[in-house]
Amino acid sequence: MSSLIGFASLVLAILFNAYLIFSNFFIKNNGKVFNLFIRTSSVLTIISFFSLMFAYVVSDFSNFNVFQNSHSEKPLIYKISGTWGNHEGSMLLWVSILSIYGLLFSFTKNIDLKFKQETLLIQSSIHILFGLFIIFTSNPFLINSVIVEEGLGLNPILQDPGLAVHPPILYAGYVGYSIVFSQAIASLLNHNKNKDWISVAKKWSLISWTFLTAGIALGSYWAYYELGWGGWWFWDPVENISLMPWIAGLALVHSLLMAKGEQLLKKWIIFLSILCFSLSIFGTFLVRSGILTSVHSFASDASRGLFILLIFFIITGFGFLIFLLKTPESSKPINFLFINKASALVINNILMIIATLTILLGTIYPIIVEVLTNDRISVGGPYFNSTVIPIMIPGFLLMSIAPILSWQTNKVRNARLYVLGFVVISFIVLIQSYFSTFNTWGVLGLILGIWIILASCISIISSSKINYDFKLLQKINPYIAHIGVGVAIIGITCSSVFKNEYELNINEGDKFQIENTMISLEKIEMTNEINFQALRANFLIEKNKKIVARIKAGKNYYPVSKMITTEAGIFHQWYRDIYFIVGDQKDNNWFVKVYINPFVSFIWVGVLIMVLSGFIGISKR
Amino acid sequence: MNRLIIFLPLLILLMICFFVLMYLLSNKDPNKPPSALINKNVPIFISKSLYDSDYVIKSEDLKNKKVLINFFASWCIPCKVEHPLLFEISKSYPDVYLLGLNHKDKSNDAKNYLSQDGNPYDFVGVDSDGMIALEFGVFGLPETFLINENGKIVYKFMGPLTKEIIKNEIIPLL
Repeated sequence: MSSLIGFASLVLAILFNAYLIFSNFFIKNNGKVFNLFIRTSSVLTIISFFSLMFAYVVSDFSNFNVFQNSHSEKPLIYKISGTWGNHEGSMLLWVSILSIYGLLFSFTKNIDLKFKQETLLIQSSIHILFGLFIIFTSNPFLINSVIVEEGLGLNPILQDPGLAVHPPILYAGYVGYSIVFSQAIASLLNHNKNKDWISVAKKWSLISWTFLTAGIALGSYWAYYELGWGGWWFWDPVENISLMPWIAGLALVHSLLMAKGEQLLKKWIIFLSILCFSLSIFGTFLVRSGILTSVHSFASDASRGLFILLIFFIITGFGFLIFLLKTPESSKPINFLFINKASALVINNILMIIATLTILLGTIYPIIVEVLTNDRISVGGPYFNSTVIPIMIPGFLLMSIAPILSWQTNKVRNARLYVLGFVVISFIVLIQSYFSTFNTWGVLGLILGIWIILASCISIISSSKINYDFKLLQKINPYIAHIGVGVAIIGITCSSVFKNEYELNINEGDKFQIENTMISLEKIEMTNEINFQALRANFLIEKNKKIVARIKAGKNYYPVSKMITTEAGIFHQWYRDIYFIVGDQKDNNWFVKVYINPFVSFIWVGVLIMVLSGFIGISKR
Repeated sequence: MNRLIIFLPLLILLMICFFVLMYLLSNKDPNKPPSALINKNVPIFISKSLYDSDYVIKSEDLKNKKVLINFFASWCIPCKVEHPLLFEISKSYPDVYLLGLNHKDKSNDAKNYLSQDGNPYDFVGVDSDGMIALEFGVFGLPETFLINENGKIVYKFMGPLTKEIIKNEIIPLL
C-alpha cells in the first residue's frame, strides 16, 4: 500500500511540474497559482519519500527494494537509514531534497517575482529529469514477485550511525547548488537586469557549501574508524568527486564576497554557479553508474549510467550554452593592485579552479586511458598529493593575509606585526623540527597552519572592539572560518606526515610499550549482538601504572549478508589517536596493528569550526 | 580570445561526455576484473556429490565435453533468480554438462532448495569450505564458468546470468 502511495505521489509530482512548465509557455500563471503548484509538487515528492521510509520502518517486504536492502531484525535507525542505503532510495532522497529546497525557495521574499518564477521553473525541469530517471531505471516502489518473510539485509559496512546521516547531509550540499544554478541561468535569461539575486545566491551557496563540508567530513570520519585502514582520506574516486564541487563552491562563496566590495565579477560568479552544480551531477553520475570502483560501488547498470549521463549532458550543456549565448558584459573594471583584496581573491579563485581541474583529470584519466588503450590503470594518492597540495599551498598563504587586505589600496594594516609574527613562527617551527624529526612538508604545513590561526586572531583583536554579542560573531565570521582551516591544516599535516605504524603478534595477557604508553591485551571475547556476532580484543592503556582507558577493537560478522567488517578501536587524546586493528589469529597469537596518529582530532575540530562559521554566515542578513 | 575561453567549458564537457559514453557503451565493467583463468586449464579439484558422498567428481572427468560450472548456494538470492535459466540451457543443450558446485552451504538446505526449485544440474558437487571456489577465484555468488573440450576455461561470468548474457555470450561458445 505504501509503495502505491509513494509511486503515485512521485508521478503526480512530476505531472504537476510538467504542467507548470508547459502552461508557462501559453498563459501567465499568477503568483499564487504558481506557488500552489510548486509547493504541491514538492510536498508530493516528500510524501513519496516518506512512504518509502515507512515501508522500511515496518519492514514491508512486499516492496522489492525493502526486501533487497532491509531485514526485520535491524535496529530502527538502520531501518530508516536503509531507505537511502541503496541506489533507488538514495536517488529518491536526492529528488526529495531538491523539492525541499524548491519549497523553501518559493517562500523567499524581496526578490523579483519573474526572476523567482524562472528559477523555480528551472528547478522543476531538473526535478522532472531526475523523477523520470527514478521511474524508468531505478524505481524503489516495485512490488516483490515472491512472497517472503524476511529481507536480505543492509550492507553491514553501512550500519553505522555516522554513515546513517552522511548521505542526506552530503546531498543537502550537492543539491543546494541546484538553486544557485537555477538562479544563475534565470539571471542570464533575464538579461541580467536585476542584481538582488547575488545576496540570495550568497546564502544558498553558503548553505550548500556548509552541508557539503559536514557531509564530506562525516564520510571521512566514517572511513577513519570503519574501514580500518588507519587513514581518513584515500583519494578514492568518490571522495574526489565530492571534493570538486566543494572547492568550486569555496571559490563561489568567495567570489560572491567580492560582489560586496562593489566589484562584481558577474561572469565569473555565473560560471562558478553552473560549474558547481555540474560537478555535483557529475559526481552523482560517477557514483550511480558504477563506472568507478570504490567503496561506494553499487550494482552497476549500463542503462542507468546512460540515463544520468544524458541528464548531466542536458543540464550542463544547457547551462554552458546559455552562458555562451548570453554572456553578461563586464560591468566595471576590477580594481587590481599589487596586493589588495580583489587580486588576492582572484588569484585564490584561479588556484581553486586549477585544483578542481587537476582532481577532475586524475579522476577521469583511468576512463580515458581505458577507452583509448584498453589498459586498466588507477590513479591514486601519489598523483593527487603531488599535484593538488602544491597548488593549494600558495592559496593558503594568501588566505592567511587576505582578510586584512583592503579593497582599494595596497596598504596592509599592521603589516609589521604580521611579518614579525610570521618570522617568529617559522623560526620556532624550524628549531622545533630540527631537534625532532625534520620533514619539509611537515614544517611547511605547521608554519602555514599556525600562521593562519595567528594572523586571524591578530585581525580579530585589532579590528574590533571587544563587545560580546552575536553581531560581533557575525562580523568576525570570516576569521573564524579561516581559524578552522588553520586548525585542520595542522591536523592534516601532523596526521599524515608524523604518523607511525606498529605491527605485533601477541596473545591474551601480553604487555607492550608504544611511544611511552604501556598497553596490554587483556582478553579476547566473542559476543552475539542483535544482527551480528562480535569479536573484541580488550586493550588496557596504562599511564604511570594507572589504567587510563579500555579500548575495544575487533571485527563483526553479519550472518545475513555473510560479511565481516573491521571495527577499529580508537583511544582519543587531544594530541593523538592510538588506533587499534585486530587481524587474524595464527598459532595462538593475534595479529594486531597499532597506528599512532598525531593531532587527528584537529582535523575534525577544524572542520567543525568551518561548519559552525558556515551556519553563522547563513544566519547573516 | 575571450570568446574562446567561454567555449572551453562546453568543449571540456563534450570531451568528458564522449569518453564516458565510449566507456559505457564498450560494456566495460570495473566490477568484472578480467579473470586470470581465461584460456587456462581448469584448476585441479575433487568434489563429493551432494546426494551420495561415495560419488566424487574430479577435474580430469571434465575432459572431452563442454562443461558449465555454476557456483551456487541456497542462501544466495541472486542464484535463485538465475536458477530457471539453467533449466533452459540444460534443455536446449543436452550435450553441455552442467556441474553445480554448492558453495559454503548446509547440505540439507541445499537439498531442500534443489527439491523446491528443481535441479538443473547433471552433478551437484559440495564445496562446503569454499576451497574449490578459492581455486577458481570466485568473488561472489553466483559465478559461472564455461569449459571447452580441452579442459580450458573459455568464459567466466560473475553475478546472476540473464537471458541476454546466455544468448549473446554463452550460446555462441557452445
